[in-house]
Amino acid sequence: MRTLRRPRTTWWKTGVGLVLTALMLFPVYWMVNESLTRDQDMRKTPPNWFPVHGTLDGYRAVLHQQLPYLGTSLFIGLGTVVLTVAVAAPAGYSLAKLRPRGGGLLSFALLIAQMIPGIIMAMGFYAIYLNLGLLGSVPGLIVADSTIAVPFGTLVFAAFMSGIPGELLQAAKTDGAGQLRTFWSIVMPVSRNAVVTVSLFAFLWAWSDFMFANTLDSEGGAQPITLGIYHYIGNNNQQWNAIMATAVVASVPATVLLVVAQRYVAAGVTAGAVKD
Amino acid sequence: MNSTTPLNSAAQPGARAARDTKGVPGARGAVLTAPRRGPASGPRLTSANWAGWAFLAPVAVYLVAFYAYPMYRNIELSLHHYTVRSFVHGGAPFTGLDNYRSVLSDPAFGPALIHTLVFTGVSILFQFWIGMGLAVFFTRHFRLSATLRALFLVPWLLPLIVSASTWSWMLNSDSGVVNYALHSVGIAPIDWLTSPKWSLASVIIANVWIGIPFNLVMLYSGMQAISPELYEAAELDGASAWQRFWKVTFPLLRPVAAITLLLGLVYTLKVFDIIWIMTKGGPAGSSATFATWSYQLGFGNLLPEFGPGAAVGNLLVVMALAFGLVYIRAQRKQREA
Amino acid sequence: MKSQSMTRRLAAVGLALAVTGAAAACSASKSSTGAGGSGSGSGGAAAGGTFTVWDPYPQFDSGSAWSRLLTKCGTQAGVTVKRTGFDTTDLTTKVLLAAQQGDSPDVLIVDNPVVSTLADAGVITDTGTTHLDTSGVAPNLLAAGQLAGKTYGVPIGANTLALYYNKAVLTTAGVDIASVKDWSSLTAALAKVHAAGKKGITFSAIGTEEGSFQFLPWFWGAGANLKQLDSSQGVAALALWTGWLKQGYAPNSVIDNTQTTSWQEFATGQYAFSENGTWQLANAKKAGFDYGIIPIPAMNGGTAAAPTGGEFVTIPVQDKTDRYSTSQKLVACLTSADNAQATDTTLSYVAATPAVQAKQVAADPDLQPWIAAVAAAKGRTSDDLGTKYPKISQPMWTAVQAALSGSASPQAALTTAQNAAAAATK
Repeated sequence: MRTLRRPRTTWWKTGVGLVLTALMLFPVYWMVNESLTRDQDMRKTPPNWFPVHGTLDGYRAVLHQQLPYLGTSLFIGLGTVVLTVAVAAPAGYSLAKLRPRGGGLLSFALLIAQMIPGIIMAMGFYAIYLNLGLLGSVPGLIVADSTIAVPFGTLVFAAFMSGIPGELLQAAKTDGAGQLRTFWSIVMPVSRNAVVTVSLFAFLWAWSDFMFANTLDSEGGAQPITLGIYHYIGNNNQQWNAIMATAVVASVPATVLLVVAQRYVAAGVTAGAVKD
Repeated sequence: MNSTTPLNSAAQPGARAARDTKGVPGARGAVLTAPRRGPASGPRLTSANWAGWAFLAPVAVYLVAFYAYPMYRNIELSLHHYTVRSFVHGGAPFTGLDNYRSVLSDPAFGPALIHTLVFTGVSILFQFWIGMGLAVFFTRHFRLSATLRALFLVPWLLPLIVSASTWSWMLNSDSGVVNYALHSVGIAPIDWLTSPKWSLASVIIANVWIGIPFNLVMLYSGMQAISPELYEAAELDGASAWQRFWKVTFPLLRPVAAITLLLGLVYTLKVFDIIWIMTKGGPAGSSATFATWSYQLGFGNLLPEFGPGAAVGNLLVVMALAFGLVYIRAQRKQREA
Repeated sequence: MKSQSMTRRLAAVGLALAVTGAAAACSASKSSTGAGGSGSGSGGAAAGGTFTVWDPYPQFDSGSAWSRLLTKCGTQAGVTVKRTGFDTTDLTTKVLLAAQQGDSPDVLIVDNPVVSTLADAGVITDTGTTHLDTSGVAPNLLAAGQLAGKTYGVPIGANTLALYYNKAVLTTAGVDIASVKDWSSLTAALAKVHAAGKKGITFSAIGTEEGSFQFLPWFWGAGANLKQLDSSQGVAALALWTGWLKQGYAPNSVIDNTQTTSWQEFATGQYAFSENGTWQLANAKKAGFDYGIIPIPAMNGGTAAAPTGGEFVTIPVQDKTDRYSTSQKLVACLTSADNAQATDTTLSYVAATPAVQAKQVAADPDLQPWIAAVAAAKGRTSDDLGTKYPKISQPMWTAVQAALSGSASPQAALTTAQNAAAAATK
């Protein structure tokens, strides 16, 4: 049950919220502005706040060439989410509640794992995938992208799941539930918050990933949209409005997904928050 | 939250399991503490252990399969003298800590270290507190709050090359919109990216912008688990909004805040794309951090020097490790307090 | 107790990582399954298998003329060509990684200063092994691909730098382009342009190889030598640039400009001059104003030597050496006169052989000044520098950045650079 809503003040808050969001998203607006700018106005002094002599060239190029990539990106994003949660949630639960011997060691290793620079990871993956024949494959990219999220996810799940009251688990055990059953029926529903947080980050990281896609999928058939940007980075010339247009086109469906997910999540969280 | 975080050794028995019927993570103070509950002895320990490791198995496999090799490779690269020829064909001589010695005695080391510390410290400071402020703001629901919160995540949808390039364009000395806005209020244009004085500040600003969504989401999620009854109780006791934040929200948020800070630190230490795209670590190394220096040594020039590049990368890992140890120590102190 | 368990834990982690790492490394180590993959499901089009081609032209997608040319050459050689375009800055690393893993492409097209590095690494073959014909290529263009007396590839085309100028701006400022012959007259012209309220010159001084590339015509034009960065001539060149910045003839943004963004500044129509390359010709024609080209003047008159740009077509080392004959056919097809002309026209490059250059001029007289510029151009790795060049180039661009941003005087900056370069090339 949330605090009583006082209708007078909520509108004021909405206003402030809009201003803050506008400030935060100003660079995104600028990106859209640039995507519509002609090459010769890109460095105009002073710059145009609004794309006055706009051009749709960038978008024409993108929509003509990049749309199939969106599907691949979506597939990779969702795949990464599923894999990350599947691997990280049980591990987080184990670290938080079951606490087997050596669990602390593993947590430490997870922390170290996140400190490895991305490009070193990419180089290592290249060697492994080359030998496994996974270069240029979408499932391979899903696994690679999930490595960004899995250590993070495990630690976050562990952090959130520590707060689950011991009695809940005790009660389940008394009722005769096994470990797996306890995990699936009790722990997971109650950890919705954590699932959402981890899923969100896993999706965002996979969606915007460039490094792994570049190293591992350059020669692949199905490529994520971030690689589509490469089409506009020529060896001597870069088509900036097309690059920005690619980013805009890539962001629109994902933003819609995010907004929808948040609404669903907000409803879910209120309903399923850890309560007695 | 259970004040024994997973990072503490499982060998420490008797962890005090804080338990609160409202599910408040780690509530201290007015909280019923359960009797000390450690791993039971005998057969139950074994079965719990097995189950524990069964659940951990995927992650363990993950770590071994995907992290061990790159980590090993990175260390190996830093302990040998690699030329491009020996990189391709093998046979690089083992030179022990020579690469580290040359990195430490390089004139670029000191500035890079300072820049790394300043960049990380200032970024985290601003990211965290702005994220905290926004999380508090969004906790009290109002119309459109869910949508606006989702929109705050849009920066994370963009590949870094796009967001960094956009900031680059915005901060351009002559045709950038920031200088234009400053000019319209009478401030002289600033050479954001091209002056040694401002280059570090510019990349910090861009990095803070990119880091806000992460902090917002984590802290907001943590705040969601704090029961409103606690706030109501505090309000009934006469606490102001400010006091409510410091006495209720902040302490209860501590574990989530701690992990947010730690992860934020680790991620910020690794930040390289933003700086590289905006200033390439320049001009004249004025915005070079360990991450950009490592990249520059290994990949950023025509003749890669993998050994020193890996050495700098490992130094970064050591720095991050140091922070990790601080975190564990702080957690342990909190647990014992 | 605390520290003991911590030490034990750290040791255990370290050991575990080391052991698993070693195991993983042993199994993942370089396994030469033969490079390039032959006959892996090539859809029946050619009997000879699949040959991989890597190039730095990601802007050309599968429907482009370049892709079609590769397919055509493949068919002529009796094989299927699988082509991947990479970002040119990434390509070196990718090639080194691939070579390490035994997965080099069959044909590699790569930027010319990198050829020495790859040759030194033993990644690419020399023309003696593959019997590539380089007889028609202009010697100054071939020099960039030569190391220790051996040639390692064929240029697909060449480009270089010159000064584009905006006729309208110069007219407004009352500058006669014919009067710009050396540095002092150029600076005087810039002063006039500045006085007329327009902007002077734009170029790229970014902290990457591009910055060095753009600085070299002035450096060489002063008579300086890359083996001695802090000679008085070198300092004079850098002082020219810092002088322009100080007086406002060049914008501050040059410190962060790539050649693309520098061109965008010129394309606004507010600048009189832009130092840019042959590849901008297509953009120049679209610019919407009347433009002209003059070669970059040397300090005391004459044309400054500009660095050569452009890519080389090379054949990487393979385990199965019988692939070389087909690769050689592919390369010969790509660099044949007609094909080279088509490719160079698309890329806006000058051809590498005088024969094809003549054909280019016949088709487009605008190219004449560029052909002259390319004839006077010099490879960056020539003068026997080879793999020393990258070790000199990096301190040089750092010095340029330091001087232009005011952190050091040109003399001090170049002295620091020379010390660094000398130490690195010992």
